[in-house]
Amino acid sequence: MKLNKNITLVCGLVLALASCKPEQIHYVPTPYELPQPAYFPSKNNIPADNPMTEEGVALGRKLFHDARLSGHDGTDGIRNCASCHHQGNNFDFGGSVGLHHSVMPLVNLAWNHTGLGWNGGVATLEDMVLAAVTSPVEINADTNQVVKYLQKTDDYPELFEKAFGSQEITFINIQRAIAQFVRSLVSADSKFDRYLRGEEQLTEDEMAGYELFCTEEGADCFHCHGGGGLALMTTNLFYNNGLDDEFNDLEDRSAVTGSHRDKGAYKAPTLRNIAVSAPYMHDGRFQTLDEVIDFYSEGVKNSENINPLMHHVMDGGVQLTDIEKAQLKAFLNTLTDDEFLNNTEFSRP
Amino acid sequence: MAVSCKKPASYGELCVNIGYSVNGKALITDSLCYRNDAGNEFLITEIQWFISKMELQDESDEWVAFEPQFFYIDTNIPESQTLRIASIPVGKYKTLRFVFGLDEEDNRTGLFTDPPESEMFWPDLLGGGYHYLKLNGKYLDSESRLTPLAIHLGIGQNEDHSQFYQNYFSVELPIDFTITESSENQLDLTMIIDNWFRNPNLYDFNEYGSHIMQNQAAQQALKENGNDVFRIGRPTDNENNTNMEKDNRFEEKFKNVMQKAAPKPHFWTWKSLKERMGSPIGTTENRQAV
Repeated sequence: MKLNKNITLVCGLVLALASCKPEQIHYVPTPYELPQPAYFPSKNNIPADNPMTEEGVALGRKLFHDARLSGHDGTDGIRNCASCHHQGNNFDFGGSVGLHHSVMPLVNLAWNHTGLGWNGGVATLEDMVLAAVTSPVEINADTNQVVKYLQKTDDYPELFEKAFGSQEITFINIQRAIAQFVRSLVSADSKFDRYLRGEEQLTEDEMAGYELFCTEEGADCFHCHGGGGLALMTTNLFYNNGLDDEFNDLEDRSAVTGSHRDKGAYKAPTLRNIAVSAPYMHDGRFQTLDEVIDFYSEGVKNSENINPLMHHVMDGGVQLTDIEKAQLKAFLNTLTDDEFLNNTEFSRP
Repeated sequence: MAVSCKKPASYGELCVNIGYSVNGKALITDSLCYRNDAGNEFLITEIQWFISKMELQDESDEWVAFEPQFFYIDTNIPESQTLRIASIPVGKYKTLRFVFGLDEEDNRTGLFTDPPESEMFWPDLLGGGYHYLKLNGKYLDSESRLTPLAIHLGIGQNEDHSQFYQNYFSVELPIDFTITESSENQLDLTMIIDNWFRNPNLYDFNEYGSHIMQNQAAQQALKENGNDVFRIGRPTDNENNTNMEKDNRFEEKFKNVMQKAAPKPHFWTWKSLKERMGSPIGTTENRQAV
């Protein structure tokens, strides 16, 4: 009897284990190969604790475009990253968001090395996701609520397991996934890229514009915005470019460095896809490229804080003729990458 | 960059410490307290430059080349002011030589793909490669207006960009220096900024202007003046102090600007954001802008 009892117990245990414990699937994420375009830096900012994977990028893409990132499904106040970062506008807003700083584009940020935002005050893309989700003027969500809400959905737990090895959703993994997706936003196939690669020639006007762009006696854009030797089309550094001669913005670069040298200084944004990135400057004061070119030509203001590279300031700017302005604009238009702006791999899944 | 570690017994680590002097004193950036021989009052904001092909000559006249071959030096990056060379044979050396900038063999666009070196690129239309030097600051022009000053050296060119000029130069400095097996071998190298504007060419900012990338006459003058810009020793070793009194007008004006600014930040800062992370983050009460 005792033996039979034991057999019954063992069989019951086996049956119980078989019925209660589902077969475990261990997902191994597939490494994501970040493109390495010609003339781009070799060093990127992918952190050791957040390597890019196919599954992580795909999850980040879904979250980026998903209003449930607000932490609820009510009709009031639902926002996601894509609410302000429109693909057709170089992943910036494409208009005024009514804040004192305009939205910056999300492009080629895998190679950014100087912090994010107009003053560079946010160190990493992972940090920027947290900032954007919790900011009262952005997504304005409660991170705990977001986690709880996504955990209850049918699709997300499995996607997190595929990307990060656990169905238990954490906010840090939300940050990691979206950061991975943003790092995948690579723009490197504009007409200018094809010119650099020897695949396409610029027109006479575009070439004249490039010469203006790249010369001190011309428009002198290259020191801050790169060119053939710096194909990101930005140094990612911070400059006071002579927009103003009084500085009251407490969120300029000096807020990060504490240096008076940095009053009125902001990050030089990339000029990639600049034609679709209006409005311009940190406060979005210019609506068109023509206004921007006019400013650099004859509207630059001197101050103690102006960057030494703005050495045409004593003339009010670089003093371009109308023809030169048109040529410079023609060159800037060669930086538009239609393949990037319309790439369905970056759009709402 | 080399790191001190176990090495063969016959090698030592060398640190070359870069310094800057103006009129015999260590450089103070962003202070309008300097005057050159032409009478220009000026300040220096930042200095970014390349040294390449550094070598030491030993007592048997053999040259020992340094690795790495290129050093980018930037007053905004403190660690770049110390050039670390991992393995130099132990012994006595009598000469230090190097190329100021990059010579024509090395100075090709694409040599550096990553910042900060890549930020020194010199447009191909102007000869390509990289700036040898960016010496950025301001000066009082002939009308006493504070004017940007960007003294950038690199490949020069004629007016139609059909001919290019190499403006790098070699520097040889006598030394009496012994490399030991330790990692404490320290050699000081100073750039004497005022000498850029002195000998043999009197360099007047009002004459050459605030920017010179397309001004080969200015580039040539500076190249020639480079003959005595470098010396072994610390910036303060020279007692020939002809400094003007420090001018505090920047600090005063800045103070005024700061006083005008509203005292309360109106946007989140990263520190405040970090503080908001975690429970009970996200409640309405906790989402106030700071």
